[in-house]
Amino acid sequence: MIKILAACGAGVNSSHQIKAALETELAKRGYQVSCDAVMIKDINQEMLAKYDIFAQIANTDLGFPIEIPVVDAGAILYRIPAMAEPVYQQMEAAIHSLQKK
Amino acid sequence: MTVRTSIFSPETIYFSNKNTQQQVFEDVYLDLLKKDLVTPDFLNNLLAREKKYPTGLSLAPIDASLPNIAIPHTESEFVKATRIVPIKLQAPLLFHNMINLDEELPVSFLFLILNQNGFEQTGLLAEIMDFINGTDRASLLEFFQYENTQEIYYFLEKNFKGEMSHD
Repeated sequence: MIKILAACGAGVNSSHQIKAALETELAKRGYQVSCDAVMIKDINQEMLAKYDIFAQIANTDLGFPIEIPVVDAGAILYRIPAMAEPVYQQMEAAIHSLQKK
Repeated sequence: MTVRTSIFSPETIYFSNKNTQQQVFEDVYLDLLKKDLVTPDFLNNLLAREKKYPTGLSLAPIDASLPNIAIPHTESEFVKATRIVPIKLQAPLLFHNMINLDEELPVSFLFLILNQNGFEQTGLLAEIMDFINGTDRASLLEFFQYENTQEIYYFLEKNFKGEMSHD
């Protein structure tokens, strides 16, 4: 199981849209993933260490180095498949880099 | 029994001729507070969040002729209702792009999201984008030019597919 962390300012609207899209689409592509959605301000190193991939909406300064693959997932918010596709491809590449499929 | 309820109210659609984000948010906040839809802390939280986690969104990837929007929102603890509050700006104001923080976008329409139920109502942003993607361009361009809150309300009632339900 690949664990993804999505984050936005309130931890509700944007990050949950990304969570839903990633879980649905990556499952269709044969990956076992679970995605949590949280507020950016709640992320710390200990929390991030429990995840395999960080899905950010924009470049995010968490105040500490991010040591897991980071995927820019903001384009998913447009709800346009052609815009979301590169995000899914980056996510697949990140999953392959983990060699955990 | 499930009752379907609109996510918009004609009483919470606004026009603003203010010149700054803060002035726009203050005006709308005062009316929302009077209607008991937000808490007294709503404004400060909204301003702080917009500064740190901006919500401007370019609609150019959808259609270059569409105006840019913003979707300001706060955490659920500062709101007492779940609805989308449309705000038409008479003159565009600059908002930072939520996807590219360094970019400033001229924004002329806000969909202020009040989300009282937190995780139970996480699809509001998706519903706004589905409304924009699913409405024909000519009608949408006309909608963004409306100068009357009733026109905005009726258009959204007719074209916005998202609804919330109460048991």
